[in-house]
Amino acid sequence: MPPAAVTNLGYTPPDGGWGWAVVFGAFISIGFSYAFPKSLTIYFKEIQEYFSVSYSEIAWVSSVMLASMYAGGPVSSMLVNRYGSRPVVMVGGLMVSIAMVLASLGTTIIHLYLCVGVIGGFGLAFNLQPALTIIGTYFQVKRPLAIGLAMTGSPVVLSTLAPLNQFFFDSFGWRGSFLVLGAIVLNCCVAGALMRPVNKRVQVKPSDGSPRCEVAREAAAAGVSTPSADPPPEDGPTESKCPSYIYRYIDLSLFRHRGFLIYLVGSVVMFFGFFAPVVFLAPYAKHQGTDEYSAALLLSIFALADMFIRPVTGIIGSSKWVRPRIQYFFSFAVSYNGVCQLLCPLASGYEGLVVYAVFYGLAFGILSALLFEALMDLVGAHRFSSAVGLVTIIECGPVLLGPPISGALVDAFGDYRYMYYVCGMFLLAPGVFLFIMHYYNYKKLDEEQRQSLSLEIRASEEALKLRINQEVETMKCKYELEAAD
Amino acid sequence: MKFLWALTALLLSSWRADATTGPKIITEPSEVSNQTSAVLSCNLTDTSLPIGGSYWTHNGKEIEESRSKASTHYTVFRLEKITYHSGGQYECVFETDPPLKTTIEVKTLPHVGAYKHSEHGNEQDKGMLTCVAHGHPLPTDWTWYKKEDGNATSISNGTERYEIRSTPYKTILSITNLSIEKDIGDYVCTGTNELGSNSDQIHLRVRSRLAALWPFLGIVAEVIILVTIIFIYEKRRKPDEVNDGSAPLKSNSTANHKDKNVRQRNSN
Repeated sequence: MPPAAVTNLGYTPPDGGWGWAVVFGAFISIGFSYAFPKSLTIYFKEIQEYFSVSYSEIAWVSSVMLASMYAGGPVSSMLVNRYGSRPVVMVGGLMVSIAMVLASLGTTIIHLYLCVGVIGGFGLAFNLQPALTIIGTYFQVKRPLAIGLAMTGSPVVLSTLAPLNQFFFDSFGWRGSFLVLGAIVLNCCVAGALMRPVNKRVQVKPSDGSPRCEVAREAAAAGVSTPSADPPPEDGPTESKCPSYIYRYIDLSLFRHRGFLIYLVGSVVMFFGFFAPVVFLAPYAKHQGTDEYSAALLLSIFALADMFIRPVTGIIGSSKWVRPRIQYFFSFAVSYNGVCQLLCPLASGYEGLVVYAVFYGLAFGILSALLFEALMDLVGAHRFSSAVGLVTIIECGPVLLGPPISGALVDAFGDYRYMYYVCGMFLLAPGVFLFIMHYYNYKKLDEEQRQSLSLEIRASEEALKLRINQEVETMKCKYELEAAD
Repeated sequence: MKFLWALTALLLSSWRADATTGPKIITEPSEVSNQTSAVLSCNLTDTSLPIGGSYWTHNGKEIEESRSKASTHYTVFRLEKITYHSGGQYECVFETDPPLKTTIEVKTLPHVGAYKHSEHGNEQDKGMLTCVAHGHPLPTDWTWYKKEDGNATSISNGTERYEIRSTPYKTILSITNLSIEKDIGDYVCTGTNELGSNSDQIHLRVRSRLAALWPFLGIVAEVIILVTIIFIYEKRRKPDEVNDGSAPLKSNSTANHKDKNVRQRNSN
């Protein structure tokens, strides 16, 4: 059985129907969020020559965009908690589009930092979080499959955008390409339009353990199905019961949540070693002596393996053997990544590198598909929005620092082996940590569930006894009255 | 004592004399210019010196196939086909102690090639056409022509919107403020060295500023249409869903209507 935190939604998620349209919308949103910054690197060489700047200055555009995307996480969470997913995604798509159009008119590199980097990054942040959140409201049983399918958007959109960007570049130059990309990214608004708030027909019941503020927030966030934007009537009285006004926007009590803390510690350490091997795959291959074309082919093999395994991971995660203990699957994925990196230096020759690329692609895909499902499974769908915002801003550090630190290791030792060993350790250690902590966590959760179940039984027994007593009393009164007559 | 000094002086002078009139290498030919093939030969005049072997170098790098262990005083290197790759400084090296060598220079016409044979530029932007040269010796002069109606009009640095920057290795023609009417066409770069010249042609295409605007507007229109369709579809379905939930079922109201009609008829 899934842990108790998840089931107290107050309604039954459809697990299908319009949910699949929402998955398609999320596919597009998530795809653009992850693939867009990576695909822009094709234009960097030409822009570098046009503005006469150094390579590191142009690489800053990518870093600023990634940093804004992660910094925008909490802001995005607050907005989703307040307004729901749909408006946030549409505004995000509009923001990125305007950013690209402005960038195409830019005259200095600072314009690019501001437009593409800051505004574009924020816009993409407004696409990523809400897409994941809304899947949580539509799916419960088949949620890992839905998330796995949505996360497949990232490699698919990247594979489509890369040759498309090359084509635009040849036809229009970098300014024209930015203009056309601005239009293409506007399709995120279409994806947002698909994210209709889920219909909650069942009356929202407050569950034992969760404060009333959460219920009010949940109702406001999901959006009642009436077209008018009236806040639900419970909002007024419950606000005074909420310990702090901030709870309406972001749930900081998550820092006392055991599962959330385990996930946070594990993922922060893991991200130091997660992205660096992707960045260094092609340079490592060239270092081993393969030519440029074959090195690029390795990246394509990696992307294909990644693309294939994400829906498969979703299917496995949804199966009845894995679903109740999905945290173990997640811990396995992290450890498997670590083992892959540790074994990479043993790969010899081009065939060895191809084998490594396949296994690494599978590892990367499984972990990416499970990354957000694991968090949703721990904190529950209605707290997921705040959780993912907090996690992204804390992960910002390792994600940005990981590749440069690995690069420094390669430069210091002149050999790629040590970087792979370090990355492998940064992945294997959290994997083992997660295994142990989740074993302990599952035991505790099962205990808590048993306790709450026994409490419920006792409470309903007592309520029943009370009713029986009351009925007996009323019947006695009636007989006495009749006897008196 | 004086006799000793005289002897030393004699020996020293004969030594120095030996250094100036040391072993000579006769080269045949002394220089190769504008030939399709050649045979380079070196002949060491002093046959008494012990020779361990010999080899040839091209521009400082040893040619592998030329190494020979034979202690002959005569070595030959054949250039079957002289292209711009073959040009440069050839050295025959005799492995004596110390090694003796001489240089034969092979000169060819420069090979001139364009970076890209088809260049794109944006209207009112700056366009750059580049040509590079290979071979020996490198061009000393670069000229640019624009082909117009069969005639070649020369382009000089500083005139109109043109700027030419040249080094022996490459030349760059920059055109500022590109215009579609005036600048589209073929450009020829010519590199000249002491033997002659070679040229290559680049075709320049100028993109209109609005070229990217049409796809942009097309995609924006598609997005607006899709969003409108999705919202209209949703508004059409909404009334059905609301009825299912809170409003009373239609069948009840028709029953009421029936009763009302009956009452009204009765009242009538």
